[in-house]
Amino acid sequence: MVVGGGICGMQSALDLANSGFKVYLVEETTSIGGRMAQLDKTFPTNDCSMCMISPKLIEVEKHLNIEIISNAQLMALEGEEGNFKARVLKRPRFIDLAKCSACGDCVDVCPVQLPSEFEQGLAKRKAIYKRYPQAIPNALAISKRGTSPCTIACPAHISVQGYVALIAQGKYREALNLIREENPFPAVCGRVCVHPCETSCMRGKVDEPIAICHLKRFAADEVMQAGELSLPERAPNNNRKVAIVGSGPAGLTAAHYLALWGYQPTVFEALSQAGGMMRVGIPAYRLPRDILDAEIKLIEDMGVEIKTSHRVNSLDKLLSSDYEAIFIATGAHKGVKIGAKGEDNPAVIDGVDFLRKVNLGEKVKIGKNIAVIGGGNAAIDCARSALRTGTEKVTIIYRRTRDEMPAAPEEVEAALHEGINIIFLAAPSEIREKKGGRLELECIKMELGEPDASGRRRPVPVPGSEFVMEFDNIISSIGQATDIPTGFKIQLGKGDVIQVNSKTLATSKQGVFAGGDVITGPKYVIEAIAAGKEAAISIDRYLKGEDLEAGRERIFTEAEGNIEGVEKRPRHQIPMTSIAERKGNFSEVALNFTEEQARAEAERCLSCGICSECYQCVAVCQAKAIDHNMRTEELEVEVGSVILAPGFEPFDARLKGEFGYGRMPNVVTSMEFERILSASGPFQGQVLRPSDGRHAVKIAWIQCVGSRDETCGRDYCSSVCCMYATKEAIIAREHSSDIQPTIFYNDMRAFGKGFERYFESAKNHFGVRYARGIVSAVKELQQSNNLLLEYGTEDGQKVQEEFDMVVLSVGLVPSPSTKDLAERLSIDLDRFGFCKTDELKPNITSRPGIYVAGTFEAPMDIPESVMNASSAAALASEGIAAARGTMVTEKEYPPEMDINQQEPRVGVFVCRCGSNIARVVDVPTLTEYASTLPNVVHAEENLYTCSTDTQKRIIDAINEKGINRVVVASCSPRTHEPLFRETIREAGLNKFLFEMANIRDQCSWVHATHPQEATDKAKDLVRMAVARAVTLEPLHMSPAPLTRSGLVIGGGLAGMTAALGLASQGFEAVLVEREKELGGNLRNIYYTLEGSDPRALLASLLEQIEKEPRVKVYKGAAIKDFAGYVGNYKTVIATSEGKTEEIQHGVVILATGATEYKPAEYRYGESKGVLTQHEFEEMLISGKLDAKKLDSVAMIQCVGSREEDHMYCSRICCSQAIKNALKIKDINPDAEIYILYRDIRTYAMKELKYREARDRGVTFIRYDVNRKPAVDEEDGKLKVAVFDTVLNRDILLAPDLLILSSAVRPQPDATEFASKLKLPLTQDGFYMEAHMKLRPLDFVNEGMFLCGLAHAPKFISESITQAKGAVSRAVTILSKPHLMVGGIISVVDPENCVGCLTCVRSCPFGVPKINAEGVAYIEAAACQGCGICASLCPRKAIKVQHYADRQITAKSSVICSV
Amino acid sequence: MKVSYYPGCSLDGTAREYGESVEMVCRELGVELEELEDWSCCGSSSAHVSNDMLAVSLAARNLEIAASAGMDLVVPCAACYQRLKVAEKELAAGKKVEGVSKKFQGGFKIKHIADFFWENVGEQLISSKAKKNLSTLSPVCYYGCLTARPPRVTDARNPENPQSMDNVLQSLGANVKKWSYKTDCCGGSLILTRPDIAWKLVQKIMDMATEAGADCIAVSCPMCMTNLDSTQKEISRNTGKEYHIPILYVTELMGISFEILSVKKWLRRHTVDPQPLLSRAGLI
Repeated sequence: MVVGGGICGMQSALDLANSGFKVYLVEETTSIGGRMAQLDKTFPTNDCSMCMISPKLIEVEKHLNIEIISNAQLMALEGEEGNFKARVLKRPRFIDLAKCSACGDCVDVCPVQLPSEFEQGLAKRKAIYKRYPQAIPNALAISKRGTSPCTIACPAHISVQGYVALIAQGKYREALNLIREENPFPAVCGRVCVHPCETSCMRGKVDEPIAICHLKRFAADEVMQAGELSLPERAPNNNRKVAIVGSGPAGLTAAHYLALWGYQPTVFEALSQAGGMMRVGIPAYRLPRDILDAEIKLIEDMGVEIKTSHRVNSLDKLLSSDYEAIFIATGAHKGVKIGAKGEDNPAVIDGVDFLRKVNLGEKVKIGKNIAVIGGGNAAIDCARSALRTGTEKVTIIYRRTRDEMPAAPEEVEAALHEGINIIFLAAPSEIREKKGGRLELECIKMELGEPDASGRRRPVPVPGSEFVMEFDNIISSIGQATDIPTGFKIQLGKGDVIQVNSKTLATSKQGVFAGGDVITGPKYVIEAIAAGKEAAISIDRYLKGEDLEAGRERIFTEAEGNIEGVEKRPRHQIPMTSIAERKGNFSEVALNFTEEQARAEAERCLSCGICSECYQCVAVCQAKAIDHNMRTEELEVEVGSVILAPGFEPFDARLKGEFGYGRMPNVVTSMEFERILSASGPFQGQVLRPSDGRHAVKIAWIQCVGSRDETCGRDYCSSVCCMYATKEAIIAREHSSDIQPTIFYNDMRAFGKGFERYFESAKNHFGVRYARGIVSAVKELQQSNNLLLEYGTEDGQKVQEEFDMVVLSVGLVPSPSTKDLAERLSIDLDRFGFCKTDELKPNITSRPGIYVAGTFEAPMDIPESVMNASSAAALASEGIAAARGTMVTEKEYPPEMDINQQEPRVGVFVCRCGSNIARVVDVPTLTEYASTLPNVVHAEENLYTCSTDTQKRIIDAINEKGINRVVVASCSPRTHEPLFRETIREAGLNKFLFEMANIRDQCSWVHATHPQEATDKAKDLVRMAVARAVTLEPLHMSPAPLTRSGLVIGGGLAGMTAALGLASQGFEAVLVEREKELGGNLRNIYYTLEGSDPRALLASLLEQIEKEPRVKVYKGAAIKDFAGYVGNYKTVIATSEGKTEEIQHGVVILATGATEYKPAEYRYGESKGVLTQHEFEEMLISGKLDAKKLDSVAMIQCVGSREEDHMYCSRICCSQAIKNALKIKDINPDAEIYILYRDIRTYAMKELKYREARDRGVTFIRYDVNRKPAVDEEDGKLKVAVFDTVLNRDILLAPDLLILSSAVRPQPDATEFASKLKLPLTQDGFYMEAHMKLRPLDFVNEGMFLCGLAHAPKFISESITQAKGAVSRAVTILSKPHLMVGGIISVVDPENCVGCLTCVRSCPFGVPKINAEGVAYIEAAACQGCGICASLCPRKAIKVQHYADRQITAKSSVICSV
Repeated sequence: MKVSYYPGCSLDGTAREYGESVEMVCRELGVELEELEDWSCCGSSSAHVSNDMLAVSLAARNLEIAASAGMDLVVPCAACYQRLKVAEKELAAGKKVEGVSKKFQGGFKIKHIADFFWENVGEQLISSKAKKNLSTLSPVCYYGCLTARPPRVTDARNPENPQSMDNVLQSLGANVKKWSYKTDCCGGSLILTRPDIAWKLVQKIMDMATEAGADCIAVSCPMCMTNLDSTQKEISRNTGKEYHIPILYVTELMGISFEILSVKKWLRRHTVDPQPLLSRAGLI
């Protein structure tokens, strides 16, 4: 199992899978590719990162033995090496990988936008998304954080976030349909709902909640007024009748859904009009009658019959007629008494009666000055209605304070606004009639006591505080109660409500259900609606004979929206009619949002759940790949070993507040800058400023942000930032030559292969300015958003400079999730959170069987991660080598058809790609056109040509119509050619009889606005593809045998490790060393900087080699002759005895090492006191030198490195110097040590030792390369003069010893040896790998690998890693049952060849030879099929199979011949 | 809400308008300030440059008094705040302090007044007291160094970009401007010995406030006030560039918003007269 799908994890997985193991690749995000996929270019070659990684992604995806488990985490690992049980938690993707074809149609309709993680927040993505276009698995995923609080709070659980998001997008119809899935009264609720959704809205914690209720009304009014509402399709009528008693919100809702599901509901209403409390409780100024009528009409249109003025008194009667079930929703329409003396006076009116009469348009006689008793919505309704029916003065009397009032605050506000007086903390005690019919109301003042059952403070009368007021009428509106006919014969509960099962709403009577106010007492419309739907579900289940209770409870995971940093934006207010306009009429008070307001209001939504569950994606996905109900899965996988490659996170630049990241828009991190540079990034590769989109000219990089910095707990060096900043500066310049990059740095750490030269070219060729020193703070100018940097110059001046943009070179930090991972797996971490490993046992964690690779071990760049990955793969397979090949899957194919004698018969499959192609290109026309082309016998269009069912169609078509060439017109061969080749092979066709026309990436996508022209171009592309297909011929790969052993050249640390590695993988190895002893440079190293014992390592290696029967060692031997190709090499060795031996082997690992430079400068060899570091180390250990007697030691760095002719850094010397300095300090703490350096390059954890050296008093003096130190000797005493560039003055030292940190040099005979093996060398004389980044251990020549110092200078641990990595690479070949040879390769026609040597000279792989017949011969096993020889051959004697001239010209010749 | 209160000497002298506005604003907010009984010098100015032990023990003495009061201690003067925090850290680290007999228990928080307003009094209460909206005013908030640095002493949450004054003024509607010079040195400690340096630093702050589009600077430190307010004339004369930027205590601005009657009296004590600006802004 490999954990982590970045470049490192991918390499480990590929190495293992290619050497015969089954690999589970567990990736935390939805796609593999990791950080490398986010990078723009890579150093030091400036290759495009995506172009390099993309083929790897596909290789991983297509590999039969790699199973990608994405969106997953390794939770636990039980057992031991060879026998682990891994528990993997796979989070839901909500997309069926097998069905999704990644067409992206869903992305277009998704209304939720959020910052794209991949674009580092510089661009937005949708909630349904693919991390990046090339992402693997090639499928969408949905981000969910749970259900938004609004949806949970809504009693009907309407997908609130969903419709708000749709309104923000202007999709009102979709929004309304979504609401209507749970609520058939959106226009009503949009006016009268008490909106608990708004109370729980997260936005309320920032400023004010979203105006959800008004938005609902907006959507309803907008769509209904435009006449765009379409009723959902009804299920076929099942002729089953249901009776519903009561036409309030509960009853009508139940009726609506029952009708929708095919039932025949009849609603019985006692009053003359339908609507229940919506009609007789809520006044028209809040809910206009036409609105209510319209929504009731819609329900009738669904097929619901409403019988008004029809009171039901007996349920049994209904049940004995045709009705199979009953829903009682008769509400609570009976007023409640105040409990004051004298309230039976006829001038005291019951509020419920009052409202009913007013709302039904009946005449109500009411005086000019009235009181309303109560504090609920109904009381306010009475008061405001009274004002509209001629009353002049209304006083509300409420016994608690405003805070406790159950009425909606906006209603109370409106009442006060309309001039209604509210007396709080008063309760009526007696009503007396005065002469003339007026009423005298005696009240008593109240005060608040202890909280009661409702949680509100109980009002307590204040004795003796009675007061009296006079009114014409008093309306009592303190509550409502149910009024259930005794004829129902149904069980009632406390408060005279019907008793029901709270989950199912079933009453005591079989087949009878009840809901709404009749079971709860007076509540709100939305609660009744929710009950109505629940009742409908119960009745549906009941009538289907299903379990009523199962799965009824809806369990939500509440999404906690992120309110950090959310900018305040006030809620939009709806307009209201003026007070004057309201007088004496019931016209609607609250007006609607304008469209602009509604959308802006909806955009305030914080998308708490991320995905809003609006289900637009489900509707649009033609592949039916979306499943919102997916759940987290737990998998158990048996594995032999585990590699952890979880990668890193960029350091959070906010922790270094002085640089202003997060508050200054033009301060970006280096990762953001990578995206800015990327052509596929947020600015299409233009270097623009986030603040204003203006082109940035002056750009500053600040190095070491979060690296080498104790203040933020990151005192290690992140190793890669110096180079990536250099790269970014160069690439920025390449994008636009007016850009002026400046890099502020501490030490330039260009320690890797080719880096120094790259750094030099940045300075000298690309005009990158390097300024030494770190700026202390970034200041922003508010007008321009430019940035001011203050820094010290080399000559000590304080300078202030203005920049357009600042890039923070952020360090590499282990991601927080790796800490948990390590804890779960019980492996040890260091104090920074990196995986703890032993210096001399790289990749090996504290738990056997678990290996670490890449940046989780320490900060490192891509090539090192790749080497590390291979090394970890070697270790992970060593212990389970016996299982190799036991779990691999090999596909079986039917025998191949012989098409030799057949006429070409072409089948064309044109893909619509959902609507990706079809919405631009006229696919039917194109398909029709394809069928008319010569040789085409079949043409069809497919929704998705890549879908599983289409693959079957292709196979069937091949078989049925005798098709022998297949053309697919679709997306891109880059991703899909392997799939289609595979398909036709399954049908028995040779896989090379396939051709693809790219009508999506290169047609419909790029010509989206020109459908006609795009269709014409698609025709051209298809015509060309068909023309070429006709010329295609079957090609065959044939198996060739291979020798399963390796030759390792060089017996140093790397060579010995490699030979032992091959042996432990079960292969024979021959180790050739030209010296008499094994050990190489390792023999000269006595201690390391980190304190390990290299002597013990050497002894152990020698002993293992001795004991290992599979390793044959030739000491004192030389390679005399070398021939052959991958799998079959023949090497002649001249042994120490003067004999020659021929060895056959399948692979070569080259580990020929390097040497220490013997300086020609600084009086080396002239003065006795001048030594190299190695010499010093040897003398110290052997006792030839007593450190206790040293008063003063000077060291000079970069001797023979980083100069013309040797423009490379020797990488190890800074650490060597510090190692020896600390050694002297150990023995003699008083010794003065001066290290004269140019840049200290103690990368990664070595930085800690640099700090230690400084802390322990080692003096570091920086010199300039143009003013090198001068060494002299006077009277046997050394004098070293150096110009200190920090102090700006000369310093004279008189050390006892001068130790030179001399360069690592290639072997003196490297050139000669390389040419014998036909291997390339770099400019500096080290061996050149196949590819700097992704193939650091391979030679271009297949089957040959390299490791150790022969590759470049490096430390012991790195040599070990490389050697093991090289083994891993070699094993991918050795473990193959046979080599497959042929296919797309060059072949020579000997008849035409004149042996001119053009091919021999031009082949980059050195494959063509002139054979005994004097003509060119190309070994099929070695040819890479690049075609260079074929294109150059003056006699046209060479052709590349599959790309023969006529196969290429077939295309061009039909372009013009329409 | 009741808290202990350490006014410090400046608030009775050079920063009387600060002291008065603090008290009036707190009264309006319902915050009861209980002045430490028999408080003494905090050890700032002369003590902390001459005698480290004295500087700590003077402050520690006041902390002891505060500890016996048992309530959070609110401090308006930035220098006092710094000294009290230093003493708090030293005592917590177990340092033996002359004159402080008992083992210091702590148990209360030392809060600078701007932080106290935002973190303890809170947005809701503050904005509910606003009678005048400050939207016609565009201040930048200048925090200086003593409440922010060093964070290990001040416990500042965001020492590079403090927020409390910005938040308070924003909640009163002020059009607070962003800028990067909130905690830059104003040269206060050099104003007598090297005025040339101090002036340069003040000028930079003035220039940057203007660049940020501010029409005044809000402060919460008597030294900052003195330095920024009283040097502008001199700097104008020396540089030939006219500087006339009103400097206001954050509590004065709160007082304006709360319509506290004695505001005018405070405003008259400034060297750069803020009244023309405030009357243009329709606030007085």
